[in-house]
Amino acid sequence: MTLNIKNLHAGYGAKEILCNVSIPEIKFGSFVGLIGPNASGKSTFFKTLAGLVQPSHGLITINSEDLTKLRRKDRARRIAYMPQAFGCNALLTVFESVLLALKQTTGWRVQSDNLDRVADTLASLGLTHLANRGIADLSGGQAQMVAVAQTIVRAPEVILLDEPTSALDLHHQLSILTSVRNELNRKKPVVMAALHDLNLAAKFCDRLVLLRDGLILADGQPDEILALSDIGETYRVETALERTTRGALYVDARLPA
Amino acid sequence: MTIDVNAADMRRSYGAQITRRYAMIAIVFALLAFSFFLDVATGPGPYPLSTVFDVLTEPLSHGVRLKVIVWDYRLPVAITAVLVGALLAVAGAQMQTILNNPLAEPFTLGVSAAASFGASLAIVLGFSVIPAVGPLLVTINAFVFALATCGFILFATRLKGVGSETMILFGIAIFFTFSALLALMQYMASEDQIARIVFWMMGSLGRASWEKIALGALLLAVAVPFSLVRTWPMTALRMGEATAQSMGIDVARLRVEMLICISFLAATAVSFVGTVGFVGLVGPHIARLLVGEDQRYFIPLSALVGALVLSLTSLISKSITPGIIYPIGIITSLIGVPVFISIILSTRRERLS
Repeated sequence: MTLNIKNLHAGYGAKEILCNVSIPEIKFGSFVGLIGPNASGKSTFFKTLAGLVQPSHGLITINSEDLTKLRRKDRARRIAYMPQAFGCNALLTVFESVLLALKQTTGWRVQSDNLDRVADTLASLGLTHLANRGIADLSGGQAQMVAVAQTIVRAPEVILLDEPTSALDLHHQLSILTSVRNELNRKKPVVMAALHDLNLAAKFCDRLVLLRDGLILADGQPDEILALSDIGETYRVETALERTTRGALYVDARLPA
Repeated sequence: MTIDVNAADMRRSYGAQITRRYAMIAIVFALLAFSFFLDVATGPGPYPLSTVFDVLTEPLSHGVRLKVIVWDYRLPVAITAVLVGALLAVAGAQMQTILNNPLAEPFTLGVSAAASFGASLAIVLGFSVIPAVGPLLVTINAFVFALATCGFILFATRLKGVGSETMILFGIAIFFTFSALLALMQYMASEDQIARIVFWMMGSLGRASWEKIALGALLLAVAVPFSLVRTWPMTALRMGEATAQSMGIDVARLRVEMLICISFLAATAVSFVGTVGFVGLVGPHIARLLVGEDQRYFIPLSALVGALVLSLTSLISKSITPGIIYPIGIITSLIGVPVFISIILSTRRERLS
């Protein structure tokens, strides 16, 4: 199974944000990192895939099935999008907030297997101890983990994470991305995540796509992409790609002299 | 293996939570039934509880006089209290969800003030928005103005840059506008008309009738299933608009659908009894504290608590001074304002922390 994105154009009103974006042959079970500076079109790209922004042109297909033809609900079931902002003051428990994410597409009555799925999802993300906690009382990292739980509980084919590690400490950054990787190994969806930290991207992604001003500049394996001079130019820094003594890729960046 | 044990624990505690919620709903329902019966039994004529109960089950068991007192006077008032309390609380609960503001309700958004102005137009000028409605003139006018105001709120929420705080400010603007217009009507009115306007503004269950009850019940019978179908999207909306949208919910459409539903509930309630403030605030607030915001439990319990509050208010209004029925709007405001202030302070604390 592959996800294919071909010649995608999208924007708000007359303003075009995405310009001819194509990402071919995204294999199921792979983790694609979307990198690029602020306002490069990453969020718009995700919203377009999720159906929240209508593309003016282009194709989004899984195998040969056109996803833009799907009804909103069906599309949300198959493509789960986690938006950037999270945080609310609702009087709901973590368990309830994950259950409600599942119930949007599974009928009105709460079935026994719905509860199983919520419990399994929370357990797989290590959130069991938070199940009865109010979502308004969570820390930033915990709230972000719950948002991930709301996304994967639907067992989607495509998971879109918009800056899942922003505003998190190192431990939570690693634990979120590790949980996502585990999910990937278990159920083999496509995961696409917008990441600002290039070293995290190198560590977790199978493929990196570099976006600038709504255009794709490069697409390939992390070691190829991060070695490109385009990286430095895009972020307006000087970069050098190195390997640490433990074998991890490391992007050494500094401001140009 | 540990994962399975934990998962079972989670399911058990969720199950226990649901049981607790049903228990809450049952308790409030029992209290409401009790309050309702006391409300019917209380009044100027000192009849023992057992006699009133007899008349309720067998209308003519104690003669025509008692049948008229219980069935034509007390019962419509008691039922109207329950019905209007439920209508106002459901309208308030849903406004709060839709506008993401715990202070939203028909009174704070100016819907009641608009209804009062509509009523005063009918009282002073005999002006009718819809021609040839006869004795329902005041009610219909109030209804049309309340509905139009809800329409305006609906329009305002769709404007760019109107956040949840701005909505309350809009409400205040609407409130002041109609208060000024109402003052103008009072200035033009005769003494008798002023008395009627003031009486309307204080809220009264004395305008109860079986026809209105039938209409209100019919409305609830439509509105409850209508909102039950939308409980999951409405609960998701509490997670924030962006999250709800990402779950495949058409948020703009949901808002419009729910606001239309709410408009009818609120307009009907205020046109029946006049200005009764804060029931739409107190009912949902208590319900939220008892069962949280899963709308499957929150909405029914809001309705029950709202009904209980107004039923108790009706009881209090008759009991303070024997022989005198105080206007219910005064009592609900006296109960509601402290709740209003406590909500403001608690949301402020949230923002500060």
